[in-house]
Amino acid sequence: MNAENKEVATQESTAEEITLTPDTDIYESKEGVTLFFDLPGVSKETLDIDVDQDILTIKGKIDLTTAKNMQPTYIDVRANVFERRFTLGDELDSSQIVAKLDQGALKLSIPRLEKHQPKKINIKVA
Amino acid sequence: MISNMLRFPFSMLDNEMESLFYPTSFRPLKGSMQSAYPPINISTTDKSVDVYLFLAGMNPDDIELVIEKNMLSVSGERKLPDATNNDKASYRQERFQGSFKRVITLPETVDTESTHAVYKDGVLHISIAKREETQPKQIKISAK
Repeated sequence: MNAENKEVATQESTAEEITLTPDTDIYESKEGVTLFFDLPGVSKETLDIDVDQDILTIKGKIDLTTAKNMQPTYIDVRANVFERRFTLGDELDSSQIVAKLDQGALKLSIPRLEKHQPKKINIKVA
Repeated sequence: MISNMLRFPFSMLDNEMESLFYPTSFRPLKGSMQSAYPPINISTTDKSVDVYLFLAGMNPDDIELVIEKNMLSVSGERKLPDATNNDKASYRQERFQGSFKRVITLPETVDTESTHAVYKDGVLHISIAKREETQPKQIKISAK
């Protein structure tokens, strides 16, 4: 009898908040990887970029200018948090990530570790 | 967000569902090509109708906003200059690119002369005031 109640309680506590998946473009070049995220409504203050070991997490809260007593009439965007995770390859240097946010568009540049960057070897003619 | 391509086969159903759940005066009219971009939220207060368009990374000069009678239309072209570089390999391309248009029918109660539009953090917020005579008024009751 009690066990049933317990289970319900556990389910409730583990329920995750509903998040939006940002549209993402990923490009790779010799120097590294560039990621582009669409995060409309997210400002510098409400954006979190986190690297834990090899997991990159992008999380941003949509912060809109609203008036008092607003009634929703039509809704395409049904949540106010964007979140997405990526696993970074070990050839990438996660300590050198450069982030730029402009009008809700985030650009992340992650360079390759120096030893993984292509090197040009000069050949001497003997 | 589901891409426009994926949505297409279900667009008929989508329209029907919308007409069931939303009052006709607010139903965004679907364009023939890019129907789902940009996503829109609409809210109302006693004093205004507020439209939010989720359009990240645009130059506001590239967005055209027109109100004609009671139709609000937002159109433009979204270019992704960083994407067109030949020495890069692409792993994922989900962001919207190309021209878009969305049309919203506004209720009869709005005063289209007093419209404010602000583009901030990639969201275009359009606020249209309701006409004074349509706003609810509180009436004082006097006792005899």
